[in-house]
Amino acid sequence: MNIVACVKQVPDTEAAIKVKPDGSGIEEAGIKWVMNPYDEFGVEEALKLKEKFGGDVTIVSVGPARALETIRTALAMGADKGIHINDPALEGADAYNIAAALAAAIKGIPHDIIFCGQRAIDDDAGQVGSVLAEFLGIPQVTFVTKLDVEGASIKVIRPIEGAQLLIQSSLPCVVTAQKGLNEPRYASLPGIMKAKKKPVDVKDAAGLGVTVAPKAKIAKTLPPPARPPGKIICGEEPAEKARELAKLLREEAKVI
Amino acid sequence: MELSKFSVGNEGREVFWNAENFEGLLFAFTAIAMAIFAYGIYRRWQMWTAIGKPEVRNDQIKERIKLLLKNGLFQIKTFRDIYPGIMHGLIFFGFIGLMFGAAFDATEFHVGEPYGFPFLIGKFYLVFSFLMEVLGLFVLAGVFMALDRRYITKPERLGYKGEPDNTPDDAIVLLLLGGIILTGFVIEALRIHVTNPPWEVWSFVGYTLAKAFAGVDNNTARIIHKVMWWTHTFMALGFIAYIPYSRLVHMITTPANHFMASLKPVGNIEPIRDFETAESFGAGQLEDFTWKQVFDSDACTRCGRCQDGCPAYLSGKALSPKKVVQDLKTYWLERAPLIAAAKKAAGKAAEGAAPEMPAATKAMVGEVIDLHELWACTNCMYCMEHCSSSIEHVPKIVNMRQYKVLTEADFAPELQLTYRNMENNSNPWGVGSHLRADWAKELGVKTLAEDPNVEYLFYVGCSGSFDERGKKVSVAFAKILQTAGVSFGILGTEEGCCGDSAMRGGNEYLSQTLMQTNIEVMNGYGVKKIICTCPHGYNTLKKDYPHFGGNYEVYHHTEIIANLIAAGKISLKKPVDGMFTYHDSCFLGRYNNIYDQPRKILAAVPGMKLAEMDRKLDKSFCCGAGGARMWMEEHDGERINNMRTDQAIDVNATNIAVACPFCLTMLTDGIKAREKEEKMASLDIAEVVWRAMGLEEEKPSADVCAPTE
Ligand SMILES: Cc1cc2nc3c(=O)[nH]c(=O)nc-3n(C[C@H](O)[C@H](O)[C@H](O)COP(=O)(O)OP(=O)(O)OC[C@H]3O[C@@H](n4cnc5c(N)ncnc54)[C@H](O)[C@@H]3O)c2cc1C
Ligand code: SF4
Ligand code: SF4
Repeated sequence: MNIVACVKQVPDTEAAIKVKPDGSGIEEAGIKWVMNPYDEFGVEEALKLKEKFGGDVTIVSVGPARALETIRTALAMGADKGIHINDPALEGADAYNIAAALAAAIKGIPHDIIFCGQRAIDDDAGQVGSVLAEFLGIPQVTFVTKLDVEGASIKVIRPIEGAQLLIQSSLPCVVTAQKGLNEPRYASLPGIMKAKKKPVDVKDAAGLGVTVAPKAKIAKTLPPPARPPGKIICGEEPAEKARELAKLLREEAKVI
Repeated sequence: MELSKFSVGNEGREVFWNAENFEGLLFAFTAIAMAIFAYGIYRRWQMWTAIGKPEVRNDQIKERIKLLLKNGLFQIKTFRDIYPGIMHGLIFFGFIGLMFGAAFDATEFHVGEPYGFPFLIGKFYLVFSFLMEVLGLFVLAGVFMALDRRYITKPERLGYKGEPDNTPDDAIVLLLLGGIILTGFVIEALRIHVTNPPWEVWSFVGYTLAKAFAGVDNNTARIIHKVMWWTHTFMALGFIAYIPYSRLVHMITTPANHFMASLKPVGNIEPIRDFETAESFGAGQLEDFTWKQVFDSDACTRCGRCQDGCPAYLSGKALSPKKVVQDLKTYWLERAPLIAAAKKAAGKAAEGAAPEMPAATKAMVGEVIDLHELWACTNCMYCMEHCSSSIEHVPKIVNMRQYKVLTEADFAPELQLTYRNMENNSNPWGVGSHLRADWAKELGVKTLAEDPNVEYLFYVGCSGSFDERGKKVSVAFAKILQTAGVSFGILGTEEGCCGDSAMRGGNEYLSQTLMQTNIEVMNGYGVKKIICTCPHGYNTLKKDYPHFGGNYEVYHHTEIIANLIAAGKISLKKPVDGMFTYHDSCFLGRYNNIYDQPRKILAAVPGMKLAEMDRKLDKSFCCGAGGARMWMEEHDGERINNMRTDQAIDVNATNIAVACPFCLTMLTDGIKAREKEEKMASLDIAEVVWRAMGLEEEKPSADVCAPTE
């Protein structure tokens, strides 16, 4: 079974995000870059399937030079090889173009299952996986928390509000990983050392035959508005405080 | 030989009385015993040298001889535990004395008498006789104490979880020892009964015992004497032959282990140097240990001192340092003969052919040593400090953890998270590294980037930078330094995690990365002196950083504060209330011998009432947070921090003074768990001192609903 896992390099969740003064994006200095946490679930699941059924795990990432570090992290976990799509034209591209580039790269290699994270934690979009499946013309199952291979198909669990869906899909198929799918492994040291020598193909848009033409553009990045200070309701009696709270919620916050 | 040559002023006895024509037989039996002994030692030697990587333990001979004399001959480590120390001392010194006595007898017989200068006569003989009696009684008393401990009183330490771990040779050895002495006394009594010289009143045991044979006629007495003499001789020779095959081997291995004890700083873990080409890291099999680490377990006497203060064991976890050593020994006894044989076979085979080693049939880490045992260790160093055989448990435990973490990447998920956090944000909680210096925002503390020309770097550490309680300690200490006019700076956001938890949790790769990052920054500023408020940072900066080119004078804040008080740079004038107790941090006490400074500081605080807990100083009870345990769930047994809190409650303490942010967290949690937060608090010494300096009005916690004017 040959598996592809798409991984995106994103700022660490704890990193201090500063918007550039001109609103053209965020300041990258001092940011610690990590693998998108949902993509870790995808990589882990890919490795588990490989351990069970054999085959190769290929890591694909679109990103600048620094993204190679994230590919190596996945290789250290146990993946076999990487494809690094590095093209300035794809910097900040929309989901459509990212997915087009990914699709072009993936078309050229055997793929039974393609893992994506359910969304990337930087811009929280959650589209690339779906668009990718469309480009490849294969089914997609999203927000997956459990996956079983049965012959030439997979059965997955997708939680929805108050229930779970058991979905069956033929292969090949795009699966987007949700928290709960597994516990991503910690890379062993021999794994880290071996990862340094595993092959990573570097490609650009032209090499993949992709023309980058954004359909959507981020016009401006703005910091979130400063949070107004909280309010503490004082008073002697709980009933009195509750009355005041109800009044404020209705008149000031206008939520009830 | 005539008895008459002994007269008053010429007292003595006929050596080997009543033992005609014995020499041939005695020599033959002695030769057999010695041969059995020599063969045993030869076999053992092959086993000692069969397994393990090279390590130098014969450098600095002078230091090593000192250790051998101190702990081997004078039994200092053994005496640190008084009752068992005396028990062993009685047997040890008694036996050594008696062996000299036997040697005197033999010299008298083979040299003194034949060459005409007998020396076991006169006053010397009387004193000698008297001494021999006393020493014999010593050994007997020791043997009885030992029998009592092992078979009647049965203290917990001579077992595991309530089950005694006695082996048959424990009994055999004690019976041999007791038997040799008892038969010795009987032989003497019979000789005195028959020959009856008046001065033998000096041989007071034999003399008294002789009265018991009053009704026995001389011929019968001579026969019994002969039988007893041979029994005595066989037991003594048997004892010698038995040494390499029983627990008696410790007569060789234990002093050897004292001689070969580590001369490195306490708690030293040898860094892994080759990450690039090695296939496996840490110790997954005995072969991955050094020969000395393997030899260690053959020096263990199962005395249980280590177990007696092990916080993991005492809180009901699977780990017992004694059991770890014994389990490794059992495994070594299984493996070593096979490997020794394979080496021998290879030696006979063609030159240059790599010997084919017998494959291990089980996982050392996971099967021989259970993972619950491995991960329960807090690296508190109690076991090593108190081991009467100088066994080094902690490095072995860390090496086995390295195997699980680095080679297999199979360890607790919460620790994996901790390591990721350290990788991404250089602190165990994963708080954004840009927030590291926020605690100092309002204090006007400069970073070295702003002013590198300061005397001390205050290395704040992760707790001091991110933990709410820890930050208060950093603030208090910074204010103390400012008040005293000490020139210091911090690294601010350039500071990183010290690497101690990563190292002791087996992640040597991560710890070295963290250490090297800090060293680069510190060396970049030309840092020379460093102060730490966290004993973990203190210990690792002082002892581990030199491995990687970080050479600094490192101080703990209690050392600095004690000096400031002594030099009159700060004055403590505001009295404190309540009853204090001081909890010794392992990494300060046992690791760095800092016991006095914290106590001196507390004693300098006006109104200080200080009660010591039972487990204190070098016998202090760990808070439960060392050895990366701070970051791990504690599923098994009792919580160690709660037990320590109970010990403080037992001495009616209302304040537990600490000098470590981990202890602070653990004991604060313990106080909460015991629902004592109304009555008790845990405080760092820096906080106690800053309060006592009385320079800051204490703010009552802000009442948000107070009427504002
Ligand atoms: C439910 C939903 C709500 C949305 N809401 C909004 C909204 O409110 N406002 C708005 O403007 N837009 C919204 N979008 C659209 C979204 O903002 C854009 O499509 C966005 O640019 C997608 O890019 P992403 O980087 O976030 O990738 P995502 O689609 O979030 O990434 C998902 C996965 O795709 C893979 N992947 C992504 N990038 C790469 C890469 N460079 N290399 C390799 N693999 C990669 C990874 O596996 C990743 O985990 C929404 C989309 C959805 C589905
Ligand atoms: S270091 Fe402490 S916790 Fe670890 S085995 Fe020794 S005594 Fe027990
Ligand atoms: S390891 Fe040391 S302290 Fe522990 S039982 Fe063995 S000899 Fe005694």
